[in-house]
Amino acid sequence: MKKYLQIFKISFEEEFAYRLNFILWRIRNVMQIFLTYFIWSTVYSDPAKQIFGYDRTKILTYVFGIMIVRALVLSARAMDVSNDVASGNLSNYLTKPVNYFKYWFTRDISSKVLNLIFATVEFILLFLVLKPPFLFQTNIAVILAFLVSIIFAVIIYFLILFLLSSIPFWIPEIGWGSHFLVTVVIVEALSGSLFPINILPQGLQSIILATPFPYLIYFPVEVYLGNISGWALFGGLMVAASWVGVLWIFLNVVWQKGLKVYQSFGG
Amino acid sequence: MDRAIIVDGLVKDFEVTEREPGLTGAFKSLISPKKKIINALKGVSFAIQPGELVGFIGPNGAGKTTTLKTLSGLLYPTAGFVEVLEFDPWKRNPEFLKQISLVMGQKNQLWWDLPAIETFELNRAIYDIPTRSYNENLKELTELLDVEKLLNTPVRKLSLGQRMRMELVAALIHKPKVLFLDEPTIGLDIIAQQKVRDFIYDYNRKYNATVLLTSHNMGDLTNLARRVIIINDGKILYDGAFEDLIMQYAKEKIIKATLSNENNISNLEKIGKIKKLSFPEVVFSVPRSAAAVAASELLQNFPVDDLTIEEIPIEEIIRKAFKSEPKK
Repeated sequence: MKKYLQIFKISFEEEFAYRLNFILWRIRNVMQIFLTYFIWSTVYSDPAKQIFGYDRTKILTYVFGIMIVRALVLSARAMDVSNDVASGNLSNYLTKPVNYFKYWFTRDISSKVLNLIFATVEFILLFLVLKPPFLFQTNIAVILAFLVSIIFAVIIYFLILFLLSSIPFWIPEIGWGSHFLVTVVIVEALSGSLFPINILPQGLQSIILATPFPYLIYFPVEVYLGNISGWALFGGLMVAASWVGVLWIFLNVVWQKGLKVYQSFGG
Repeated sequence: MDRAIIVDGLVKDFEVTEREPGLTGAFKSLISPKKKIINALKGVSFAIQPGELVGFIGPNGAGKTTTLKTLSGLLYPTAGFVEVLEFDPWKRNPEFLKQISLVMGQKNQLWWDLPAIETFELNRAIYDIPTRSYNENLKELTELLDVEKLLNTPVRKLSLGQRMRMELVAALIHKPKVLFLDEPTIGLDIIAQQKVRDFIYDYNRKYNATVLLTSHNMGDLTNLARRVIIINDGKILYDGAFEDLIMQYAKEKIIKATLSNENNISNLEKIGKIKKLSFPEVVFSVPRSAAAVAASELLQNFPVDDLTIEEIPIEEIIRKAFKSEPKK
């Protein structure tokens, strides 16, 4: 345990070494919230108007909820793993008594803590500037369910990133291509970070809900808002838990095969 | 345990994708990638005793690094048997990993943007080193390598030589019993090379650590290794004492003389085979046993200002060893 605390510490320090990088990443996040906020704010300019089952208050709460959930779920470091694999840097960790998965998970958490601190500050500032209607959840059971859904989301995202990062074992030159496709295009579209999934047609909705992606953003936010409860909540958590299991087993198989073909490039 | 390292019939094949140059080549390889098998190791066998310091030499691509990587558990052997400290390296047992270290001259484990001390602290936690022995090791290593004053400088601001020495501290802070060094002096200037070399020598002696080092740098071997293993094209050409290698391939000695005038110069051939003659310098190559006689004859019969008897340069010996391997 001590070793992972130390990893947490050094990781945190390194984030500060890349201050400018970090600030730009936060600015990107704020811009994205602004953009999403104003789009929906325009669509729902009339407070009485209801589209897709959302009114102005609900949709703007959704947008603000995304902000915190994004900081918790989508701020991750594990995409750097692909670089480790392709460049042979992985060798540094394989020759040490340290679990590589836990190593990166710890780094992910340290990144999340830092991002959460900033996201909270941004949240307060934007809240004061935009004065949006926002639902502060007070139901303990709902908050608990929200936390569980967040834990699943964090793990699912970690596993997805790690699986993507295993591709360079076989195709070392792939690098950022696959990450761009999955993390930028697919995750943004299907996770619910641009729009709530339930505004889509029913058929499409059920397909998307069977994939792991909506459990990253959409599902936790909806749970927080109290829009999902009872059996729907239970079912959703079960689907998320199953994805954790499936992805975990799949990752272990892929990773073991990857290590066997690992060529430890560079030197 | 009478063997620290056992390697028997080790074979390692790599599959690589070949690509023709240019954009067309890139497209071709995208559509139908040409796979090629490279036999990096073709049945390598040797054993090393605890506390031995062995030099691993050979040209680029001979399989030196591949062997080290297999021994440290990074590469999965295609065939053959490998055992280090009675462990199967590939299984990467934490107890095994705590006792070894792999240093690659062209790869760093130090955190680039942070001072080196941060990486050491991290390794302390990873290797579970008790605080007291950590402090002792750190003090000792940084003093030996002369880097105490640089501990709090961000790694990116260190020179290559300073960084390499820090890398050694990071790699040895847990006092490994087996040390794999891949080109530890690459890119260093002569003084830094000597520092690193002296240190490896001391470390080997002091802790009775088993050291296997690869190098292009013949100086590393002349000064360090009692035993050398020469590897070429995935096969071992020579495994034995360094002195024997010299006896076997360096049957001659080199006599260099500086003459004060050109008298009698046409008779120089009688002394031995002239390798080079450009007045006032003359260089002979004479059989090892006749070197002393040839030198005294030279001194008696010619106007010699200066004279030295030297061994054939080690690079040349290695070249000869490689040449003697019959071409397929």
